[in-house]
Order: sequence, then structure tokens, then C-alpha cells
Amino acid sequence: MGQGSFCYVKGTPVLEARELTKFYTLGKEKVRALDRVDFTARQGDFTVVNGPSGSGKSTLLNLLALIDRPSAGEVLFEGKPTSTLPERALAHLRREKIGLVFQTFNLIPVLSAAENVEYPLLLTRTPRAERRERVRAILAEVGLSDLARRRPDELSGGQRQRVAVARALVTQPRVVLADEPTANLDSATGKQIMELLQGLNREHCVTFVVVTHDPAVVPYAERVLTIRDGRIGGEERRGEPRPA
Amino acid sequence: MASLALRNLSRNRRRTLLSAGIVALGCALSLAVLGFVERSRALIQESTVQQFGNLQIADPKVLEGRAEGFASLLPPGDRARVEALARAERGVVGTTVQLSFSGLLAVRRTTAVVRAVGVVPQNGVLDYDRLVVEGRGLRPGDLGALLVGRTLAEELGLRVGDFVNLTATTVAGAFNVSPLEVVGVFRFSSAEVERAQVFVPLAFAQLLLATDGVERVVVRVDRLGRTWEVARGIEGKLSAGGLPLAVRTWDVLSPFYRGLSGFFDLLFGFLVAAVFVLVFFVILQILTLSFLERMRELGTIRALGTTQGEVFSLLVGEGLWLGVLGGGVGVLGGIALAALFNAAGIPWQPPGTVEAVALGVDLTPRVVGIPWGVSVLSTALSAVLPAYQATRVPPAEALRAV
Repeated sequence: MGQGSFCYVKGTPVLEARELTKFYTLGKEKVRALDRVDFTARQGDFTVVNGPSGSGKSTLLNLLALIDRPSAGEVLFEGKPTSTLPERALAHLRREKIGLVFQTFNLIPVLSAAENVEYPLLLTRTPRAERRERVRAILAEVGLSDLARRRPDELSGGQRQRVAVARALVTQPRVVLADEPTANLDSATGKQIMELLQGLNREHCVTFVVVTHDPAVVPYAERVLTIRDGRIGGEERRGEPRPA
Repeated sequence: MASLALRNLSRNRRRTLLSAGIVALGCALSLAVLGFVERSRALIQESTVQQFGNLQIADPKVLEGRAEGFASLLPPGDRARVEALARAERGVVGTTVQLSFSGLLAVRRTTAVVRAVGVVPQNGVLDYDRLVVEGRGLRPGDLGALLVGRTLAEELGLRVGDFVNLTATTVAGAFNVSPLEVVGVFRFSSAEVERAQVFVPLAFAQLLLATDGVERVVVRVDRLGRTWEVARGIEGKLSAGGLPLAVRTWDVLSPFYRGLSGFFDLLFGFLVAAVFVLVFFVILQILTLSFLERMRELGTIRALGTTQGEVFSLLVGEGLWLGVLGGGVGVLGGIALAALFNAAGIPWQPPGTVEAVALGVDLTPRVVGIPWGVSVLSTALSAVLPAYQATRVPPAEALRAV
């Protein structure tokens, strides 16, 4: 990536969920979206959380990304509990240590590809010269150097998701959380994106947690968790992951 | 963030143009009205100063209208001291004196009670000649000469060249009467003055009243803004010199100006408040809609680590930019409107003045700055509530927004 190595000690727990529970209130009804989930993502892991729609995947991801608060249980980031942290501290944790990739890319439409990637670095007050260099390098890594000045509406779905991946990685986060990153892409483009994520995981030992209901994503994982009705139903450790 | 806020305005150009247009319209209209009010106020100030001088010095009872008889007149020695110390003040361009009294004007078989003002003809401080609409003004060397108000002349059937008798009580309390020739007819801003006031030479007034004293010293200052500084300086010198006299500035001497100025302030305050409220509520609606439509994007930037405070600043920044740009366009529009008015030359007589002038709009820093500032403030403030509401939505919920 041309940013120097940012690999921490492989195997160190980065993100942990303990007895994580989340209720939603729908009218008078209380719906349990997540039920006492335990989960650990270690440095360098490539974990896929697989499950059907409504199984609680996105709820789990939102809680792990610290953009939602659990009804019970705890999320630990780098071994430290987060439930008592104020919103401002959680925002700082997100901007510095967590990368997010969304199903619908969620790029800022008025900014160019490069500016979208640069945005998290503005939040971390990274000096201008370093910002420019990091953006240039990460865009080259995801193969978008020539499209840096284009706005999101001038890019294809695959290109937009590459920009989103670059944005998630540019701050050299401890963990990247991806919510259905291939859901809005055709199968060939989805394959390219997953290969990109896998490459970044291998080359820079970035920790990835990907939630998906797309079976084509599963073969890229070292570890596959299956979630159903808000509970982790099973865990499969795969050896050397391989492309589908 | 400032750059992002500016760019966000380009998302929905039609909506931004509508918002900026409303801000600009409010700003341009208030600028034009404020400029018109300022021009009118300046003309009335000028007219008032021409009538009263910048300030007057006299016994406090005289200035407050409580003087009885002629006990409060300034003897020649005091008059000379007062004029000398006033002229020594920086900015004073001249002084003159007046002596007024009540009298009975008789012409043929008709009489009228008048207030006669004895003035120094062509004194270089108060220009009585500009008031004359028929005949001539008073000249140095005139003695039995009289200027009558237009209304009084009509009521008494007086013409230039007519002779009248003026009866008054001398300072000692005896009756005295003297003939005078009507040399001119004057107009005035007040019909009351035109009906009840006459001007006579000071020398005649002193002769008729059998006194060598004067009632008040009138001071002219080089510029209006220096009036109060000069007044303070003279007050200090009067006090140090043991002269028990008071100083009153033109704005205090003219109840008409005070009333009108208060009315102008009220009018402008009302206009500014109306524009503020209009812009505030219209932009509030527009920004609320705009922020709601972008809820998902706001959820995204929150998820990326933007704090609530930063998102709030971003959204209020959009309101601020809208105000700056809309207000800027409004200022240009207002200046164009002012130029149009100034070029049209529509005749208009401001209240309290004696002659019609071209309707005009003054463009001072205050005239431009206040409407622009109000536009920016109201637009920025209108963003506060929707921005606050938008930042209260948790990021996960905002990301689910359609």
C-alpha cells in the first residue's frame, strides 16, 4: 500500500463481544435481534459472519462498529470495554481504529473519489502532505489512480466499492467491518472486491469481519460464523482460504 | 468541513437558489429601505441644524422654556465671553445670537400675536435667506425690517413692502411699539412657525425691548458628528468660568427631530425583525427538509468517526454559507436598487424639511452591513434546530434511513 507496515502482533484479540444482546421495540412488541452473542476477532483474522436476512448479522456488525449500543453485554476493543464510553470517545475510536465498508457504498456524493478517501484523514487531523500521499497510495492499491478526481455518480458500482474499501483502509485501522460488501455488485465485480479484501488482509494483516448472506463470499474466509435468529449457530475454521 | 458545507449547497441547486433568493430578496429590500431612511434622516438632521445651529448656549430656563420675562438674558459682557470661549473650541465655525419675544402685530385693522425672533442678518451661522420665498432676507444695516411666515402673510393679507406695527413689552415692563416694513416672506418646515413667527434684526429687537442683552448664543460646528464633543468642551469651560449657563445640542432642541428619529428607528427595527423572521422560518423549513433527506449520509459520516459536534458545525456551516452568499447577492441587488432610485430623481419632501429633494438611498457601511449581517445571522440560526435534531439521531438509525 506504500504506507509502511501497520501489522500488529497477529493473533492478538482486537474486537470481542461478550454476551451481546440487542432488543428492538416494534410497536408494543419487543424483538430480540441478538441473543447473548460471544465473538472474538483477532489481529489478521478474516472472518465471515454468514446468515440469512433478519438473522442479526447487521445488528452484530453495528454493535461491533460501535455505531449502536447493546441492550446487554459488552463490546471490548483492544481488550477495553466500550459500553461506558461517551459518544464523542466512540467517534474518536471509530475514526482512528475502525474501517467500515457498506453494502450501498455510502460515498459522499459531492466529493471526488480521492476526497472521499481523504475524509477520514481530515477527521484524524493528518497533515496535508501525508494525507495526499496516503490517498494516492491507497487509490493505487485498489486500482483507481486514474479515477481519483471522479465523483461517485461517475463511477461504476465496483469502482465505488473500491473507493469505499480505500476509505476504510486509509487510516490504517485495527479492524475493517464490511456489511454485505458484494450485495449490490454483479458476481464478477463481487469476486474482484473479495479478492481485493483478501489481498489486503494477507499483505497487511488487516483484520476483516465481513457479514454476508452471499455464499460466494464464504470461501475467502479463514473462519466462518453462522448466525441464525440472533445466535451464533456454528463456527467453521477453514485452513488456507481460497477464492471461490 | 467549511469546504464540504459549501459543496453541500450544490447538491440541490434549485433548492439552494430558492433559499439564497429568499435571503437575497430580504436583504436587498431591507438595504434599500434602510438606505432611504438614512438619507431622509440625514436631510432632516441637516435641516434641523440649519434651523437651530449645532448647539445653543443660554440660561437653563430659556432652553427648557421656563423663562419668565427677560430675567435670563445674557448681558453684553457674558455674551462676549461665551462667544469667545465657544469659538475657541476645535471645530466651531461661527457663533451668532438671538433675542426672542412675544408681541402684537398690527396691520390695518387686524392684529395677531406673534413670536418675534431678533437675529443678526447674514450671520454666517444660520442661513435665514434660504427660507425666503418672496422678497428678500434681512441685511446688515436693516432696522425696521420684518420677515413674516407664509401662512401669517396669507392670513393678514400681507405683501412685501407693506408696513406693520409691532407692539411689545420692554424688559422694564413698559409698552413699546414700532413700525416695520415687510421685506420678505419665509417658508418653514412647520406650519405653526409659518403662522406665528417673524424675524426681525437683532438691533431692532434690542431697541424695542430697551435692552442690550441677548437670549441665547447659537454655535455652528464644522461637522455634525463633532457636535457633542464641542458641547462637552463648552460645558466644561462654562463651568470653569463660573457661568451658570446650559448647552443643548440640536437633537435635544428639536422635539420634532427626536420624535421622527424614534419613529425611523422603530420602522427600521420592525423591518429588520420582519425580514429576520421571514428568512428564519422559510430557511428553517428548507434546511429541515434538506437534512432529513440526507439522514443516511449523516449516519455514514457519523459512522466514519465524525462527532456530533462536527456534524452540527457542518450543518450550521451550510446555513452560514447560504446566508453569506444569499446576503452577498442581496447586497448587490440592494445597491442596484439604490442606484435605480437615485437615478430616477423622484421629488420628495422629507418631513421637517423646507424643500423637496430627489428621493434617494444612502449607501453607508451601516446601511450595507446591517441587512447583510441580519441575513447571515437569521440563516445560520435557522440551521441550528434542524442541525441539532439531525445530530441526535444515532448513527445506526440514521444509516437505516431511506
